[in-house]
Amino acid sequence: MTTHASASERQSFNAWSRARGWLGNPWGRPRFLPAITWLYMVWSIVPVLIAIQFSFNNSRSLTAWSGYSTRWYWGNVYSVWGNTGLHSALFQSLKLAAADVVIATPLGVLLAIGLARWRGRGAGSSNFLMLFPLITPEIVMGVSLFLVFGHIFTVIHTSTLAQILGHVTFSISYVVVIVRGRLFSIGRQYEEAAADLGASWWHALRLILLPLLLPAIIASIAITFAISIDDFVISYYLSCGGACDTVPIIIYSTARGGPQPSTNAIASIMVFITLITVVAGYLLYRVFTRGESGSGSMTGDLAAFDL
Amino acid sequence: MHPKERRSALNRRDFLLRSGGAALGLSSAGGLLAACGNSTTPTATTGSNGQVVGPGGYRLARPDQPPVLLKYWEDPIASNLPVETGGTFNIYNYPQYLDPAAMKAFGKKYGVTVQLTSFQDINSGIARLAAGGVHPDVMEMTPDNVERSVVAKLIKPLNLDYIPNLKNVWPSLQSPFYDQGSRYTVPYTTYATGILWRNDHVTEDIASMPQPWDIFWNSEAYKGKVALLTEPRETIAMALLRKGIANINTEDPKLINRAVADLKQLNSICNIRLDDTQFQDVPADKTWLHQAWSGDMLVGCLDYYTFSPKGATSKVLSYWKAPKGHVPVQNDCWSICATTQKPVLSHLWLNYINDVKVAKSNFLNYNGYQPPLSELHPDTLISDGTFPEFARDAILTTEDFGAGSLQEMTLTNAGQAIWQNGYAAFTAGG
Amino acid sequence: MYPKWLWSSFSLPGVVWLVLLFLVPMYAVIGVAFGSVDPILQTPLPAWNPLDWNIGWMDQVLHELAPGGIYWAAVVRTLWYVAISLALCLLIGYPVAYYISRHAHRTKATLLILLILPFWISYLMRMLAWVNLLSPGGYADTILRDTGVSRLAVDLGLITQTNWLSGQSATVILALVYGYIPYLILPLYAALDRIDKSHLEAARDLGASPFQAFLRVTLPLSKTGILGGSVLIALPMFGDYYTPDVISSAPSTTMIGNQIDYYFHGGPQPTVGAAITVVLSIFLTIMMGYYIWAVRQASKQLETL
Repeated sequence: MTTHASASERQSFNAWSRARGWLGNPWGRPRFLPAITWLYMVWSIVPVLIAIQFSFNNSRSLTAWSGYSTRWYWGNVYSVWGNTGLHSALFQSLKLAAADVVIATPLGVLLAIGLARWRGRGAGSSNFLMLFPLITPEIVMGVSLFLVFGHIFTVIHTSTLAQILGHVTFSISYVVVIVRGRLFSIGRQYEEAAADLGASWWHALRLILLPLLLPAIIASIAITFAISIDDFVISYYLSCGGACDTVPIIIYSTARGGPQPSTNAIASIMVFITLITVVAGYLLYRVFTRGESGSGSMTGDLAAFDL
Repeated sequence: MHPKERRSALNRRDFLLRSGGAALGLSSAGGLLAACGNSTTPTATTGSNGQVVGPGGYRLARPDQPPVLLKYWEDPIASNLPVETGGTFNIYNYPQYLDPAAMKAFGKKYGVTVQLTSFQDINSGIARLAAGGVHPDVMEMTPDNVERSVVAKLIKPLNLDYIPNLKNVWPSLQSPFYDQGSRYTVPYTTYATGILWRNDHVTEDIASMPQPWDIFWNSEAYKGKVALLTEPRETIAMALLRKGIANINTEDPKLINRAVADLKQLNSICNIRLDDTQFQDVPADKTWLHQAWSGDMLVGCLDYYTFSPKGATSKVLSYWKAPKGHVPVQNDCWSICATTQKPVLSHLWLNYINDVKVAKSNFLNYNGYQPPLSELHPDTLISDGTFPEFARDAILTTEDFGAGSLQEMTLTNAGQAIWQNGYAAFTAGG
Repeated sequence: MYPKWLWSSFSLPGVVWLVLLFLVPMYAVIGVAFGSVDPILQTPLPAWNPLDWNIGWMDQVLHELAPGGIYWAAVVRTLWYVAISLALCLLIGYPVAYYISRHAHRTKATLLILLILPFWISYLMRMLAWVNLLSPGGYADTILRDTGVSRLAVDLGLITQTNWLSGQSATVILALVYGYIPYLILPLYAALDRIDKSHLEAARDLGASPFQAFLRVTLPLSKTGILGGSVLIALPMFGDYYTPDVISSAPSTTMIGNQIDYYFHGGPQPTVGAAITVVLSIFLTIMMGYYIWAVRQASKQLETL
């Protein structure tokens, strides 16, 4: 399982010996691993790039390229700009994502710290409960929230507020998992040191723990934003009709109802916006983690995603 | 996007209101379960003189029976009242089923802001209205839902003095069988169910087959290019009609089960698909053979979706529908909601939407569904070049409706459950 | 230093939120599943008190979910789809996560970004991309046809005709793999990245071949990641309905989620939809219980390692 390429291996340009070497020792210098990895990356990204390409198509075809055009973005009534339904969906998606981030992040961060350190009665079952939104199918959550707003919390009914509450519910656990991962990796020694130096608990929290958690908090914001933008089923079940339509709802109904490049266009705009948000988040992250050496990266914090 | 998207599975399940209580007796398409039922409000399915009644207690409306006269639950508004102006006027409808230009012009005419609130399907739309989640002025309505909406006091009685344009519509729909005297509804659009196909791929002369619906059961050659509507009522009705059963409102579990079994054969014959995108997919060559509404053929001829000059692709389209008495025909309506604050203006909307110019423009420039205007006769629509001769069968006339026609109408609560479970059995595949 | 009440009060808002908006809604589904339906408005009339429960709907649903019932075909299909998709996800995802965590050095950051990128692209956008690619004349359709892959897939019986969008199970499974795999790779990566390299060095020092070291050290140590990633994608997949809808829309590829969705789009029996939801949730809770048990077992084993 060595990660160092031996000199002999480096020299073995002979394809046969390489293949034989691989057969004899498939995990030694795994050339097929990077191949699979890069193929996977191409497979996962390129279809989306092509979909974005076709949002700039000059004809309404989604399969045959006929030149560059922005007609599906602005101009006529078939474009995103010209179709009120499409751009209101864009704003609705962003509105839900923003509200989700604002509510779910603090709730999730508090819950993560609490669950990691709370040892009293109820701690175990709370931990257990927290896992469920992660693995519950969207249709189960969609249906249950739809019924609860229709029959118990009837003031809310199906509305933008209902959609926001739904999004926060499935987002909290993601925040908890990410922040908890960071909590475990930083340990308690910094806070203990602060306590030894006479810091109050409030100071320890605010001056030690919070800054240390900041990268994970930013990563959670990024993931919360992403899964909110991603959600279709819960937004759909809690939708109040046209005004509550989000981009995924539009994509779903048009993908079934005959997609047009404007569908690709609105989906592409969504991708652009999220990427801009992520890059902004990343820059913010860099600002906050300045001077912190070897603490990994934002991707590292995200990738620490672990149940 | 197109008005017809409202027909997608998202937007419409053609189910009427049925209740659990009574439905429980006849549970699944397969078996009979008598075990259950503690509904707080069980509905009787038979009235005082032994007739079968709908959820609201009225005799089930059928085109070949005397019309149903719905009681006034309040008096209609008086005539000659001043028109309310200012503020917003709220229209409750399927999305993309009404030309925004028509809404804008109406708002301009009466000095109001016209706003559209859309529902995903008529049933959830009515449920939300009942729950007080929305406060529209007018709404799109379907004949099979009129009875329960009236009984639940969701829609207001009309004063036809405000709606002189009602005379523009076909006589058969001026006083329809589901609402005698147009007490609560005025008509909006019409359509019939038939087959739309590409004559450049499908070689059979479907229209002259002894039973054209058989084409779906003989479509091995077009496997993967064959689809039915995502409509429980339409698909099962088709299978019933194919076997010569003209009662497409039957509640006989045996007949429905047999129809479902027939539909299931389509899985292995042509790996049947279910979608409501025929108006776009057939002209675009994605589907070759599709159960379709008459309006889909008309839309195809207008070349809305090919973005090509009008008539460019329509030559390859063919449409068939069975003669009267064998073809399902439907119409949609408008009603005034009990929540309106502008009852006079609401009446004027119902009048406006049946104005010849407005209705025609909504049909040809946006909606694609034919309004039942006497003026829109196949002869004139073809002679003025709006539609080609071969689309004649897709243009409806007053004769297509009324006594002797088939319309998918209100079922009893129990019957509804049988249809729903039958369709579930079909869509579960296997 | 920290007061005793602090951590439980930190947990409180989140726990209250989850109780109100996760547990209570689940009870709402149960209330509806065991309730009745308003005869006029077709809306559920839930039964909150278990003494008032009407078991008729559940009885009907259980009957129809069993062999011979109308949903049975969809149940079997769902199990197959999830099992095959999960297997394929692991087969593809494990080597990728393994490579990034262990062997990618200079490219590690880039690969991680690419790995996370799909999270910011809406699931349905990614499905839509495939609908475009696979429709007749689309790039993927053309390539698969010209290279003979489509033909080969037909000959192998993976698909029944060369049109991938004509209601093919294989296409739906591939779409599920494509859609869910990012959620598997991340936890896998996290687990693999956490493994202490000294264990491996020790194994090598003790004479294990790299392959043996992988089998005896890496694989067991990543077991919790495999399990975690698997529940994270498999359990939600059991309730999927939009993937088959968008990618196929044929009765021959419907999943149990499609049936739930169907009963909630109007009609006289929202109670049936609720009852199927309850059955599905119970099944998933059992699976989750198994997962938690398996993780405990795995960590016990690791302690003795």
